[in-house]
This record gives sequence, structure tokens and C-alpha cells, in this order.
Amino acid sequence: MKVEAGFEIPSWEMPSVERSRMRTMAAILRDPNPVHWDADLVDSLPFEVGKKTINQGPLGLSYMVNMLHEWAGPGCVKRIFMTFPHIVLSEDRVVAKGLVTEVKGSSIECDIWLERDGVRLLEGNATVGADQIL
Amino acid sequence: MQTPSEESVKEIIGHEFPGGEYLIAHWENFLLTECTGSELLPDGLAHPVALFHVPILGASTSIGEMFELGKANSPFSIGIESYEWEIHQPLLEETLYKVFGKIEGVERKSEAGRLFDRIQFRFQLTHGSVEVASSTIIWHYNRGRADES
Repeated sequence: MKVEAGFEIPSWEMPSVERSRMRTMAAILRDPNPVHWDADLVDSLPFEVGKKTINQGPLGLSYMVNMLHEWAGPGCVKRIFMTFPHIVLSEDRVVAKGLVTEVKGSSIECDIWLERDGVRLLEGNATVGADQIL
Repeated sequence: MQTPSEESVKEIIGHEFPGGEYLIAHWENFLLTECTGSELLPDGLAHPVALFHVPILGASTSIGEMFELGKANSPFSIGIESYEWEIHQPLLEETLYKVFGKIEGVERKSEAGRLFDRIQFRFQLTHGSVEVASSTIIWHYNRGRADES
């Protein structure tokens, strides 16, 4: 199928957001926020999500990078902008999705988002180098 | 905790971090990439998710210090508005990058009965004289209900 405005980027699924990956990520990031590893603490806060841990924002964003890489090749991402209207939780099944909005020469503009049960948890847009797909 | 005055928070506008250098070691990229659920990228490419922590640590600051500079009540009071990464050249493992960073803006806002300070950080990575990437982080430092200030 020709890549043009309206083209649906093949989705990328994270079947279950793992707590162990949040802990490794927290160590790499030197992130002192215990919401990423202490489920009892999260349970005591007014998030009302139970004994879950909260995924780091960059990790949620990375699922959309993975989707773009699988579609347009590693190194394809030239720009990415992301907002975070909702949190991603441990054990969530999330799916990264995207839609091409414009093709400009060898660059592709697209809207991208991360869904859980049809709800957009993260949403933004990206510019992708299209050398490998056009 | 008492809400800091708008003026006291705005004192950090223009604050420049010390700056420094950062090298993404292979082991670090391996673990980082595994966290994303991806296979390691080919040809020594670092996963772009490194554009969150590499600029922060490379500029000789930390997430904890960024919380403190904005006078966060606690780590739980921070919300993410947006991240924007511009990538002029793909990031590579085992490559030394220079990093510069500063606080570009502070804005006190009240929305839906919620009072918060919107703080914008910007970091730039270079390799030699070439600009490699930039990262703009906008966090909300929540101060409680607007009618409590």
C-alpha cells in the first residue's frame, strides 16, 4: 500500500508492562520516584489504581519508537513530541498506533499514540525519515 | 507543605546546568533497550529512549535536582506535560557526547481548580561541532488546589 496521508502504521504491542523493567529503568535513569517500584506506596496515594506501579513516561514513549523502527527502520525517528494525558500501569496491555498525516519529500509526518482498551494514554506526533520505505 | 511564591520559583528561569559529557556504554544500551521490549538495534545504534536520561545526567544534573530546583512538594507532585526530542543524527553507543542544559521557562497556571508551575527544561547534545539531538522537557509541579494558594 502506498504511504500517503491516512496510511495506518502497523501497530506494536506490549502484552504486559513489566514491573522488573520499571525497576531497571529507574536505576538507569537515577530516578528517585518510588511510584515506579513501590506498589504499596502507589496503593496509598490517591491514584486509586490498587497495588500497581506506574510506568516511566519515557518507557511508554519508547513503545511508539519501537513501532516506528519496525515500520521505517532503526534510526528513522527525526523528531518526536509526546504528551501524557493518562498513566501507564504495571501489567497493562498497551498498543502503539500511528497514522501518516503528510509525506514531504523523504520525511513523513505522523500522529502517534498509545492505547489501553481503546483509550489513548499517550498521544503526540513524529517526523520519520522515509528512506527505507518510500 | 506551603506553596512557594511564584516569584521564588521564577528565580530559576535561565538557570544553566554545569554541563558535561556522556557516553552510552554498550551494557547500558543493552539494558535500556530491553526495558522497551525491543531487540538491540544494529550497527551500534542507541535506542532513542536514551534521550530522556542522557541529556539530564550528561548536563551534570539529575531528576532529583530538577525536582528540587522547581521546589517540588514531593516526587508524587510532578506530572509530565510533554517531551520533545529532535534527532539530527542517530545516537550511538560508546560515543562521547557533550551536553548543555538550562531552564527556559516557568509559568504559574491554574486549570480545573488545580494550581501548578509549568517548568520547561531544554538540553542539547553535540559531538565535536555537530549538533546531534535536543530534548525539551515540560513538567508540572503541582501545588494543590487553586483555592489553597
